[in-house]
Amino acid sequence: MIQIQHVSLWYDKTHKALDDVSESIRRGQTVVICGPSGSGKSSLLRCINGLERFQEGRVVVDGVSVRQPGTDIHKLRAEIGMVFQHFELYPHMTVMQNITLAPMRVRKMSRAVAEKKAMALLERVGIPEKASRFPEELSGGQKQRVAIARALAMEPKIMLFDEPTSALDPEMIKEVLDVMTDLAREGMTMVVVTHEMGFARGVADRIVFMSQAKIVETGTGSDFSSARKTKGPASFWNGS
Amino acid sequence: MDLDVVSDNFAFMMGGLGLTVQLAVITIVCGLMLGTLLALARLSSRVWLYWPATAYIHFFRGLPLILVIFWLYFLFPVITGKPMQAFAAAIVSFIVFEAAYFAEIIRAGIQSIPEGQSMAARASGLTGYQTVRYVILPQALRNMVPALVTQSVVIFQDTSLAYVIGLREFLRRVNLVDAREARSVELYLFAGAVYFAICSAGSLASQRLEKRRERMSLA
Amino acid sequence: MGILNYTFDWSVLWRDPYGGMLVKGILTTLQLSLLAWLIALVLGLAVGLCRVLPLRFTRLVGGAYVQVFRNTPLLVQLFFWYFAAPLLLPKPAQAWLYDNVPNYAFWAGVVALGTYTASRVAEQFRAGLMAIPRDQYRAAYATGLTTVQVYRYVIAPFALRLILPPFTTEFLTCFKNSALAMTIGVMEVTHTAYYIDSFTWHGLETTTAASAVYLCIAACITAGMAFTEKRVRIPGMIVRR
Ligand SMILES: Nc1ncnc2c1ncn2[C@@H]1O[C@H](COP(=O)(O)OP(=O)(O)OP(=O)(O)O)[C@@H](O)[C@H]1O
Ligand SMILES: [Mg+2]
Repeated sequence: MIQIQHVSLWYDKTHKALDDVSESIRRGQTVVICGPSGSGKSSLLRCINGLERFQEGRVVVDGVSVRQPGTDIHKLRAEIGMVFQHFELYPHMTVMQNITLAPMRVRKMSRAVAEKKAMALLERVGIPEKASRFPEELSGGQKQRVAIARALAMEPKIMLFDEPTSALDPEMIKEVLDVMTDLAREGMTMVVVTHEMGFARGVADRIVFMSQAKIVETGTGSDFSSARKTKGPASFWNGS
Repeated sequence: MDLDVVSDNFAFMMGGLGLTVQLAVITIVCGLMLGTLLALARLSSRVWLYWPATAYIHFFRGLPLILVIFWLYFLFPVITGKPMQAFAAAIVSFIVFEAAYFAEIIRAGIQSIPEGQSMAARASGLTGYQTVRYVILPQALRNMVPALVTQSVVIFQDTSLAYVIGLREFLRRVNLVDAREARSVELYLFAGAVYFAICSAGSLASQRLEKRRERMSLA
Repeated sequence: MGILNYTFDWSVLWRDPYGGMLVKGILTTLQLSLLAWLIALVLGLAVGLCRVLPLRFTRLVGGAYVQVFRNTPLLVQLFFWYFAAPLLLPKPAQAWLYDNVPNYAFWAGVVALGTYTASRVAEQFRAGLMAIPRDQYRAAYATGLTTVQVYRYVIAPFALRLILPPFTTEFLTCFKNSALAMTIGVMEVTHTAYYIDSFTWHGLETTTAASAVYLCIAACITAGMAFTEKRVRIPGMIVRR
């Protein structure tokens, strides 16, 4: 589903954010990326939907190469949902408008159809009553659930999550993780940057550990828990 | 383009720069003092301090400086019975006018410090005065210095308005030379260049300070 | 001597011909500042955009524009446009200008004030765009919106609300700065107030009236903008950095 091949990304000539990263993710898999701050996790995620213009390598999503001149990047992005650390709901739109914007403008869905769908998604994430509220009137957990609904409204084949719970209070983390866990169980292809090791161990098919712009280790949830006492990334696990 | 007119009259024109600088420095120093008092009054919970200061600030910020100059120029003789010296008229109007702008910068600087800071300081046993002196003011100063420098650059430019009541500062002298020599292009480009050189230095300093402030508040 | 010796004569404000002159002065001030504001908006947005585009050249040009116009006094710029700019034109154009544009001072004032204010507008505009978190753009792009759609539906409505208050302030500054045009002979309200003094010796009354005019107009604009801001306000929206 997603092939990342020898991708390197520089923000400027001296600053390498990704260094020859390769990884491949199959349909229906959930992959968790973790690693210390600044290691390039977000950058990698953004390469998958072409938000970051990497200079070297290839990313192929569902058979389409992301950075090829002929690729319709907007069409590709419409198929990939993304959720951000700070939610990034549009503050000047209601919850309903936030969810229906892209379906109406990109998919050219009629308002009625888009709103009906949005309501169904809001039911699914558990906050149908907030449809006409503005983002700033919601709690953090509710905002993030709206953001997930907004991404799902495009019926994506892939979902990308960039630290979706790290701006949330502990009691709200669970409500968001629950929605994500359901999604994974239903067979969504997901790439999740997170420090929630419980989620990683329980849900992830694979955990990728990044450090200093490189993938330094890959394994299943149980691998990591047993590697705890040994070398390498262990210090990070203990630290967090 | 003929730059001889600039070099021939260079000394005469630059001679006005002394007065320009003098006007600016006096205005900045006195304006800062008056501005601080106004800011403190505006932050005060005593209505008889708060309201007059607020009215003063809104009043002067709502007027063009040039009008304030004329206004004082006309008002002064009515109060004292004596005609006003041009220099005094200029300096007094600059000070009362710019103090209103300084006051708002200082107030914003003080208010930018979160309430938690003063609570934390009080909780550790500091007195009200100590809290302001050691915790609030140092932070507030750091926050407002860039804006104060920017405002000082504006004041330096504003001194050119003393022109209207006949003070022979820099721009007035350039103007006089132009009246005699009729070489407007060269002369006003020269005037612009002189102001630009001085003000850019100020602006650059302000930017540097701002960057440093951002770095420090991140740390 | 002193205050008692001065007899106020407020009738100078409406007596013929001074009343008419003051009204004309007020209208000139408004015309001058509105026309200048028009230039400032168009040019300022263009320059601001230049400064955020990912092109070295436009950034350089935009940056230079702002530096030059902000670091020289408006008065020098006024003199430049009024005294020097016509001399830079070819001779026939100069002649045409002097013959056909009787109120050249007014137009020099409009251009000077407009181009100067544009540099301030550009800075505010840029600051508004920069205050929008980068992830907000990414979130919009991530749903497949095109660049035009991203700006049209997400960034512009957001940015417009952010820059409304600073733009109001900039307009008021432009309005007050229009008084400087008196130095090149434009008969706006400050100049009129000063001018009437030379016939009547009642400059105190006229400058007081001019002050009231500035304060009233500014108050009206501020109130109008506060109303607009309230109408477009979004519950609880705060700017995150
Ligand atoms: N737009 C940008 N311009 C310049 N440098 C950037 C940009 N975005 C990220 N970087 C730098 O690239 C490196 C990798 O950043 P990235 O955001 O991918 O890290 P991360 O692993 O997601 O970190 P975090 O856990 O803090 O989110 C960092 O050193 C960061 O400072
Ligand atoms: Mg990140």
